[in-house]
Amino acid sequence: MKLPVAAGLATAAVTVTLYPLFEGGSWFWSCVGAVLVTTLAGAAASRLGARPWVAPAVTPVAVLLYLTAVFTPEEAWLRAVPTRDSVVRLAELLGSGFDDIQRFAAPVPDQPGITLLTAAGVALIALLVDVFAVRLRRAALAGLPLLALFTVPAAVMTEPIGWPAFVVAAFGYIGLLVTDGRERLSRWGRAVVVRRSGGSARGAAPDTERLALSGKRIGVTAIALAILVPAVLPALSPDPLFGFGVGNGLGGGGGNIGIPDAIAKLGGQLRQQSNGTVLTYTSSDDVPRYLRIYSLDIFDGTKWTLAPLRGRPEDRVSEGPLPPAPGLRPGVSLKRAEMRVTMSEDIDELNFLPLPYPARQVDADGDWRADRSSLMVFSTEDEAAGLEYRVVTEEPEPTTTELRTAVTLPDSERYLQLPDGLDPRVEALARRVAADAATPYESAVELQEWFTRNGRFTYDLRASGSGAQALSRFLLRDRRGYCEQFAGAMAVMARLLGIPARVSIGYTGGTKIGDAWTVRTHDAHAWPELFFDGIGWLRFEPTPAGAGGQGTAQVPSYSLPVTPTAEPTSGASEGPSSGDEDTGQSAGPARPNPRQLDRDLDGTAIAADPGTPAAVKFGIGAAAVLALLLLPAAARLLVRRRRLRRLTRSAAGGHAAWAELRDILTDLGMAGEPSETPRALGRRIAERYAPGPQAAESLARVVTSEERLRYAPAPSASGPVPADLRRIRRDLASKTSRWRRLGAALVPMSVLLRLRAAGEGVLDVFDRLEGLRPRLWRTGLRRMELRRTGGTSPGHGTATTPERPAGSGQDRTLTGARR
Amino acid sequence: MAVTPDVTDAAARLEDLVDTAHRIRNTIESVIEGKSDVVRLTLTVLLAEGHLLIEDVPGVGKTMLAKALARSIDCPVKRVQFTPDLLPSDITGVSAYNQQTREFEFKPGPIFANIVVGDEINRASPKTQSALLECMEEHQVTVDGATYALESPFMVIATQNPIEMEGTYPLPEAQRDRFTAKIAMGYPETAAELEMLDVHGASQPLDKMEPVATTAEVAALIRAVRAVYVSQPVKRYAVDLVAATRHSPELRLGASPRATLHLVRGARAHAALAGRDYVIPDDLQDLAVPVLAHRLLPSLEAQGQRRHAEQIVGELVRRVPVPDAK
Repeated sequence: MKLPVAAGLATAAVTVTLYPLFEGGSWFWSCVGAVLVTTLAGAAASRLGARPWVAPAVTPVAVLLYLTAVFTPEEAWLRAVPTRDSVVRLAELLGSGFDDIQRFAAPVPDQPGITLLTAAGVALIALLVDVFAVRLRRAALAGLPLLALFTVPAAVMTEPIGWPAFVVAAFGYIGLLVTDGRERLSRWGRAVVVRRSGGSARGAAPDTERLALSGKRIGVTAIALAILVPAVLPALSPDPLFGFGVGNGLGGGGGNIGIPDAIAKLGGQLRQQSNGTVLTYTSSDDVPRYLRIYSLDIFDGTKWTLAPLRGRPEDRVSEGPLPPAPGLRPGVSLKRAEMRVTMSEDIDELNFLPLPYPARQVDADGDWRADRSSLMVFSTEDEAAGLEYRVVTEEPEPTTTELRTAVTLPDSERYLQLPDGLDPRVEALARRVAADAATPYESAVELQEWFTRNGRFTYDLRASGSGAQALSRFLLRDRRGYCEQFAGAMAVMARLLGIPARVSIGYTGGTKIGDAWTVRTHDAHAWPELFFDGIGWLRFEPTPAGAGGQGTAQVPSYSLPVTPTAEPTSGASEGPSSGDEDTGQSAGPARPNPRQLDRDLDGTAIAADPGTPAAVKFGIGAAAVLALLLLPAAARLLVRRRRLRRLTRSAAGGHAAWAELRDILTDLGMAGEPSETPRALGRRIAERYAPGPQAAESLARVVTSEERLRYAPAPSASGPVPADLRRIRRDLASKTSRWRRLGAALVPMSVLLRLRAAGEGVLDVFDRLEGLRPRLWRTGLRRMELRRTGGTSPGHGTATTPERPAGSGQDRTLTGARR
Repeated sequence: MAVTPDVTDAAARLEDLVDTAHRIRNTIESVIEGKSDVVRLTLTVLLAEGHLLIEDVPGVGKTMLAKALARSIDCPVKRVQFTPDLLPSDITGVSAYNQQTREFEFKPGPIFANIVVGDEINRASPKTQSALLECMEEHQVTVDGATYALESPFMVIATQNPIEMEGTYPLPEAQRDRFTAKIAMGYPETAAELEMLDVHGASQPLDKMEPVATTAEVAALIRAVRAVYVSQPVKRYAVDLVAATRHSPELRLGASPRATLHLVRGARAHAALAGRDYVIPDDLQDLAVPVLAHRLLPSLEAQGQRRHAEQIVGELVRRVPVPDAK
């Protein structure tokens, strides 16, 4: 009878883990109702002694009644009995639920459709659990549907599942197992175990208490280990299975593909589990190009942002070519390419077009306008999702001479502005890095070189922040970060050196799949653009590429340091993943892409933090582990010293001598049963280990003293002295093997056993908590109810769906990111 | 702390006790060869003011032991041979009409002695067996409404054949519970048996036995035993041991509170015989099997596995932890 209830509780417990997927809580009460209905149906079937197939047959009917009553009472007969209309309405709601789930990322709003879908799903799980656990009596198998439910939040959420939720879910399952075990035992017991004499009521049921207790203990220990071990050992995986603190569920999940935010939070994009396709494109020369969405030109000390955009009607892309690229003078050779871009249907709201820089011409449906100064193309009305457009780009291909002679604009103040309060060491660093550079271009190359090679940076998605403080930390201290930090830092350093700079947000060129290039969520990227008069804005790439960095990032050929032997050639660099080399613009073998080179040399392109070499790290780690392992030995020494001191201080020494003797024996593996009396212990040691006459005397002294102390009316006049214990220890140790002695010194069992006893004490507390019977609870609740007579009960459990809070849509910015 | 007002006096009495007990033991062992454990336990029961049940197959010296103990103490000893037709009045005594005084007169039965040897006690009918009940527990006899006090010290040494033997009535639980301890003689070892042939072959050694202690001496010994100190942890241990028999799934019937009492009394005597004026858990452990086992009923499963109460108690003793100093 308890089993159906335990099954329902288990399902309800796992349902709790769905919490971060929803906004609001009404879905939960609907689900609890569904579980309740299923459980009641199951329990009733059990109570009536129905055949096993009855419950699975009846329960769906009960669930249908319940869903009808909750979601479509108006159309139903007597508000609960399904009619044709109500079924149609339910189906509609289900359909809209599916649509909503496709549309929204977690946490999803509390729409009736979604709530219905969830409640029906949970009811299904509850039914399966009931079938497995109660009807088939395979409680362990009931874990499978529960696990299926549990994987929903685990798969959808980018954040790990909060450990409290996991604990609740796990306890639900363990409760089911324990109940099943108990019921099984009691049944088995009744058939086989013969009653004890007297036939008292107590003798009727076998004592399953102890077994249930051990089951619970194993369960509690397993859960504690599952939570604590990954938390204590962060090295096991970069993300422990469970984050501490319930996740708030940011990041686009579900069917939606996130788009990078202008106020960059690229880390979220890059860390996402799912790697959805954002767009695909073909290009006339089959060369991958970075696609820029935003250009951030203001650094206010906390983040990079973009100046207000101005899209004048005459700058509509449909009106003709885009405004000319700023700073580009005639005479610089240009490379013209045409790209056809297809945006994915599933992307978040996006009012900007991902374009190569500088775009000359864009053919796209809708009212798309170009910003004059940055050449960003945006729309206030149309969205990019599903759009297909054509873009023509004319990339400058400056020669080395042109680059060397390029100067910076005197009137580009806007791109040189930096906030006050920037760490002066950053500027000093920038000057030091670019010390050998004669021209702005050489400074830029030195900077990029420093970021990618000499600076020994580590690509690490766990870094965060782009403000002045994060910048100092990134540059001066830990040197770990991802594209956001690299791009921001290089832009700031360039500005410090007097080179106009800005940060672009968009995508790398992606990967070639079939004929087209595919750009995915993980290709989201940030990079700096530096301005050189006569040439315009040029892209640089300080972020490491390859396996240990941003996968598809590539360094522009013009930004590579020039080796004296190489002829200055021009052209875009090869695509790292395209495989086929574009012979026309390829950088010669004498001037290989440094990242490529690194990648060829060894799998991990990025060197470790130079601060502490790996060997030292290993040493520190090993020392820490060693220290941890030696803790018991240290504790043993301390205890021994304290006891011996107590022994010298007081005449009889209290029980210290005995306790020490027991520990010595435990450490040496000579401990006896707890039923061994002092005298028996002395006899056993004397007989089995035959200590020397002096040690035997000492042993007898300790034993007699303890015996008198415990049981005699007056303790003996003279007790053992510390020398006695030392003698015993030395003598007995000499009778054992060397390994045993070593173990006794390094890993003393006496301390470990005490640790275990402490652990069992903790488990006992759990047992006692469990001992607070539900009855106690119920009486307490009833008393509270009585005290509250006349007050209305709080409105929990209503299945109405509240309006979506108006504020939740506020973060829909022009940039189109929805968080 | 101080239980005995005069420590030196107590020590002297203890010395006396050990001395006297040693003499009695030596005397008995001159008759019963190679059974010092049994003799020691017999003495323990005597000093603990208890009664002893000796169970074994015929011919191993049960009666000899009982007689030897009785002889070694200079006190009235009666022997009753239990037979199926024995009546309760044959034990307690009868009121007979005296023609001269024209009054009913109580003729004391064999129970009125310091040591009563009941031979083959389980051959008598339960009715007769139960006549012993009142005597053993309360040291008094009630006949026709009049109550007569028994001698002090008073000890019943009963012998019985194993209950599986032909023509026996097993002792009721209530009566078994009244015996402080049950011992089995066991067959003698080869050397002891050889020696026995030499000693017993020619003459009856019992006849040559001289008493080595008086009733008054034994009474003093018993008083000394009562003064032996039992600490709180030891009492606790005794209670734990007995409680363990009540909770063991292998036992249908656990030991009674009277068993606890007997156990602690026996432990006092055991300690005193060792010349100790305080009880240690070892005393209890040594006595647990003889004092507890005969009162217990193994469960049917345990019987099915041919496990005897002695084995079960032995295991319980190994399992119950000795109380710590706390």
